[in-house]
Amino acid sequence: MKIIVDAMGGDNAPIEIVKGALAAHRAYGTEIVLVGRAAQVLGAVEGCGEKTLPAGVQIKDASEVVEIADDPATAFKKKKDSSLTVGLNMLKEGLGDGFVSAGSTGALLAGATLVVKRIRGVRRAALCPQIPVLGGKAVLCDAGANAECTPEYLLQFAFLGSLYAQKVMGMERPRVGLLNIGAESEKGDALRHEAYAVLEEAGRGGRLHFIGNIEASDAMLGGADVIVADGFTGNVMLKALEGTAKLMSKELKGLFLSGTKTKLAALLMKNQMAEFKQMMDPGEVGGTPFLGITKPVIKAHGGSDARAIQNAVRRAAEFAASGFIADVEANVALMQMDMAEKI
Amino acid sequence: MSNEEVFQTMRDLVAEQFAKEADEVSMETSFEEDLGADSVDLVELVMAMEEAFDVGEIQEDDLSELKTVGDAVRYIAAKLNR
Repeated sequence: MKIIVDAMGGDNAPIEIVKGALAAHRAYGTEIVLVGRAAQVLGAVEGCGEKTLPAGVQIKDASEVVEIADDPATAFKKKKDSSLTVGLNMLKEGLGDGFVSAGSTGALLAGATLVVKRIRGVRRAALCPQIPVLGGKAVLCDAGANAECTPEYLLQFAFLGSLYAQKVMGMERPRVGLLNIGAESEKGDALRHEAYAVLEEAGRGGRLHFIGNIEASDAMLGGADVIVADGFTGNVMLKALEGTAKLMSKELKGLFLSGTKTKLAALLMKNQMAEFKQMMDPGEVGGTPFLGITKPVIKAHGGSDARAIQNAVRRAAEFAASGFIADVEANVALMQMDMAEKI
Repeated sequence: MSNEEVFQTMRDLVAEQFAKEADEVSMETSFEEDLGADSVDLVELVMAMEEAFDVGEIQEDDLSELKTVGDAVRYIAAKLNR
């Protein structure tokens, strides 16, 4: 298993990216290709205490870097020798099994879509993070790749999320819910009404386990395994979740530090609090896949530290080994609008 | 490259991109109306055209004139014959 890593993308590049990639190599035996300005990447490798490149780790030189200020839609094309574009081309050419970047999400999406390409029949790739919910995890599909969607996109997101939940998260029969402002079938806007109809048809045809509309609050209480949304709504939900997690963390910390008894309580609950923190920490998951692309592309959070990158590389390897992409290719005919209309 | 050859290559690109059979694509096929193409689809098609025909970069302004497969074929043929 070989994972290509954009060593220059992200707020903490290259040192934390390289540190995390090397840690993944040591922990999981994954081969790594670090793509970036060779001198800086090598400097980061040495900064991690390695005198030479470990066996199974390579550097691929790329002289440019896609910056936050670059136009995400065209950056991958204008900066042909960027770590992002070089890495994506390597993935396309089969020189690695997956690609991880903590750089610009928009540029990565544009590059993945136009260089690595969408699976034939998939209209849009979706950004699908696993989020913590009561009882485990759910996958939110789409969490920000596509602000404006058609019912067909939402139908496809439902399938992509459902297959992902089965192949990668190990769920047997994932419950698919359409994120909405109410549970009743008549709730929501025109897009939600039309999407509900096609999802319901797919459910009746046995192609999806569609459970109907779901409100965000019920989704957080484990009401669905796959939460289907347009990218704008999904991104709002994701950021509200991240902000709420930080709020709770700060408030709990404040409570525990407020007096001697509470400090003692904190000490007694140290392990449980660590588990709670781990559950809410996006760095534990590490990376989010773009579902619908022909090869595994994983987006790591822009602020990723070494631990998050290590986990992102692990996610990329898991995703590559899962057979998800082959499953989508085999079942893409089931995800078409005209299939739904025919039933 | 003859116009017919350009069309055959274009037809294959379009069929591949929009998951259609080759015989569903003709010179009259409209990108938007028949294939449901939007801006992302068109950018992707243009990139595929640039690669397949080796005509250099196709400008965005030219893109807005390409409504049908026939328009794209004539555009590429003109570029190739310069």
